[in-house]
Amino acid sequence: MCRKGIVPTRCAMAEVFYLDGEAIPFRAGQNVLEAVLEHRQESSIPYFCFHPAMGSLGACRQCGVMVYPHDGKHPPRLTMACLLPASRDLQLGRAEAKVQHEHQLISELLMRNHPHDCPVCDEGGQCHLQNMTVASGHAYREYEPEKRRYQSQELGPLIRQEMNRCITCYRCVRFYQDLAGGEDFGVFGSRDRVFFGRLEDGPLESPLAGNLAEVCPTGVFTDKVYHQDYLRPWDLEESAGICPHCSIGCNTRPGAARGHLRRVRQRSHGEINPHFLCDRGRYGFRYVAAEDRPRQAQAGGRRQDVDSVLDRLAARLAEGRSAFLGSPREDLDSNLALFALARVLDAPFAAFFEPWEEAKAREILALPHPPAPARISAYAEILVIGAVERVAPTLPLFLREAHDRGAAISLLRCLPSPLTALAGEDRLLPPADLLDAAWEWLGQRHHRPFLLLIDSESVGPELLHLLRREIGTWPDGSGILPVYRQGNLPGASFYAVDGHASRLRTALAGNDYDHLLALGQDPQEMDGLWWRSHGDIDLSLIDHRRSLSWDDVWLSLPCAALSERSGLYYNGEGRLQAAAVAYTPAREERHWRPELGPFPLAAGGALREELLPSPVELCRALAERLELSERWQERLRFYRDFLLRSAPRPGDPGVFLPEELRARFRLHSAPPPRATDQGWSVCRFSHYSEEELANGARELHSLAPASAAWIAPGQQDARQVRLRAVDGTSRTLPLRELPDMAAEVLAIPRAELVFLGLRPGDGVNPEWLD
Amino acid sequence: MSSPTSTAESVPTALLSRLQQVVEHAGSHPEAAVCDLLRILQAEYGWIDDDRLQLVARLCSISPVRVEELCTFYPLVLREDPGRHVLRICDSIACHLAGAPGLLQMAVAQSGVPLGQSNGRYSVLPHVCLGLCERAPAAFVDGKNTVAPLSAEALRQLLQDWERES
Repeated sequence: MCRKGIVPTRCAMAEVFYLDGEAIPFRAGQNVLEAVLEHRQESSIPYFCFHPAMGSLGACRQCGVMVYPHDGKHPPRLTMACLLPASRDLQLGRAEAKVQHEHQLISELLMRNHPHDCPVCDEGGQCHLQNMTVASGHAYREYEPEKRRYQSQELGPLIRQEMNRCITCYRCVRFYQDLAGGEDFGVFGSRDRVFFGRLEDGPLESPLAGNLAEVCPTGVFTDKVYHQDYLRPWDLEESAGICPHCSIGCNTRPGAARGHLRRVRQRSHGEINPHFLCDRGRYGFRYVAAEDRPRQAQAGGRRQDVDSVLDRLAARLAEGRSAFLGSPREDLDSNLALFALARVLDAPFAAFFEPWEEAKAREILALPHPPAPARISAYAEILVIGAVERVAPTLPLFLREAHDRGAAISLLRCLPSPLTALAGEDRLLPPADLLDAAWEWLGQRHHRPFLLLIDSESVGPELLHLLRREIGTWPDGSGILPVYRQGNLPGASFYAVDGHASRLRTALAGNDYDHLLALGQDPQEMDGLWWRSHGDIDLSLIDHRRSLSWDDVWLSLPCAALSERSGLYYNGEGRLQAAAVAYTPAREERHWRPELGPFPLAAGGALREELLPSPVELCRALAERLELSERWQERLRFYRDFLLRSAPRPGDPGVFLPEELRARFRLHSAPPPRATDQGWSVCRFSHYSEEELANGARELHSLAPASAAWIAPGQQDARQVRLRAVDGTSRTLPLRELPDMAAEVLAIPRAELVFLGLRPGDGVNPEWLD
Repeated sequence: MSSPTSTAESVPTALLSRLQQVVEHAGSHPEAAVCDLLRILQAEYGWIDDDRLQLVARLCSISPVRVEELCTFYPLVLREDPGRHVLRICDSIACHLAGAPGLLQMAVAQSGVPLGQSNGRYSVLPHVCLGLCERAPAAFVDGKNTVAPLSAEALRQLLQDWERES
């Protein structure tokens, strides 16, 4: 069997074999089917159970080819192409009648129990089984007995199961157990009564479960979210997207039609996401349809038209008492547009509201050559710090592959992790001890290149700083890959991490500035403690989600969502990628008698576009009102040209932030960590679905647990815990036990940390309540 | 499915320590003990309920799904209460030709419940090849004794005896 992996192996193409007389090139280690699939866009050999990431199984018996031995002594024989190693000058036949008959028979067998429900199946039009059945020539059912019937399971809000369509290719369980490491889904029974599912109804627990809809070659597992707003796949307009929900920057294929974004599927990028997408990336897009998504401009919580709000905002900016705040989750151009506006007004600008977060961003920018995510599996030694799998749920795929290749994985963590099964060394620590433990690990002799995979949300900038400074002493090829939930941190903060956050705060705390214009970042959600103590600052927000302060701020301007505009995003390795416009939001309405309500497009209705302005358009409108348009454009062009020596187009593999630009951040030092008393400390608890935008995706977010404080079992009998902030305000949270987490650590959600002004690792004095 | 936290309470201490010994014997591969644990628990209780399945998963350090995969693959592991007795009648090719379908029909008629269900006293199950083709049709009684060939009269008598038991 050919050894497979989620990362394509690269080796020279040298030899050929012959299929129906055509020379097919192959690489060492490839099997015949794999080589044919790589050589041709459409395979002439039908197949089901083979998958490039999972390899060959030989279960479906569909990919038979005739092998002609060279010796002349043995007769030709039928062999499965997925199990036949490609070898030089191999002579194979596919087009001959015997092979075609075999393919037809196998298709007939596979279709024996398959229901003829294609017209109502969500997979129709993109069904591998349908394609292969038609291609193999099976058209009429001759099998008379009743079809096998199953009771399908209810698998939660994301995936729909229709087990009667199963052809037993085992792709689902091989993906879920072997690649994703899921433990709540399996294969039950034997012979012709095999069932793929859970022990009982309930949501699939793996953050990669959504891939079942793409892995399944037919309609057993389909996308339940897509089903809610379903159109036939051929009616969808697909584009080249970039996932904005974490620093990995997976390539996506959003599908939209008639003014609605209906689904997101993975688009392969060999260095980032060769085959799969996490559920946050797949279902997080639904924030665009959140019921509370802001669509009306407001002044003091009251609706106003956009122009009058822009007039008021421009007048306020003209007073010269305004500061500006960008956002690491917004695209590059939006941040640059706001930055350019701040510069022409000579006003303070920061990309982060928290100096501590800014210091981390600086360290992330200073990292030399972070490796591509898909290259993780090439490392022989990997140290994982924090809950990387909660921040970037696709990472375990690469770590599992590295483990299968024999990599030694060490784990330093505060929270339970599915990676423990892969780790040779596994240490459960309070957050404040992570740095010492990492230092200890580095003190061991490492002769081979190694990788540090760091959940930068669990650690402080001092950890990144100290480890980063050591890189020069490590074996060549070693590196650090930080992960975080912001989709464009390097792009947003490149011009603004040299103490900008501190200067912004100082300016706002003084008498010269009394207004903050923030794009895609609500200060109350970033540092609640500081914001509460500076209640006299007027805030104007530009955003496409309803943040905590949205209805209370001075002015609020809704803008287009990320998928409603094109954008450029720097991922965690410093790779700049372009996303195309996925869709233009629109509402279907009839031409006449509007009192009767919407009328479907298909029945003669019309589409009424409901596109909100992009942040760049809003900045342009402000610059025009301020009569600074020319200077603003000049500045914007200058920043853009400096940072974008060659701008990628949607679908391109991306270009890297030049190393010499990164190098300027290496001079900085990091702030020292806060002193932590012995005793209880806090760490951040997060669910894989959690991210600012994805929190608005109803179906995905329904899987997140309710807000609570989590502690290791047996530590306290109390039912609640109260934590106090330094300003005297407090939060009371229900107390929940979480097996396999560090002792004397309270894991609490980010919103609570922010409210209390706490950072991971800070000491606390919890009050235990019954 | 029961909570995995309460499963050990339903098993007597002596039995639990016996199971733990078997797991210890498997050394660094506790999952290798899974079949033995299921066999011991089924011998003790007659079948594997959800609590026992969770217990086996916990003792073997594998997920309950893995244990269920194994239970559903092997027909000798019972996941439902079969009653006091279990009669397995082979329905593979040789026994089929030698009259197994008739015996199964007869057993269904006499037990009053469909194949695979318990009438409270016993269950009759069709079974994959018992390896007694030369003496077909074959049957396997209570997981201990084989009866081959099984005649209609012997079947009637056996089920009547089980029905008479109080």
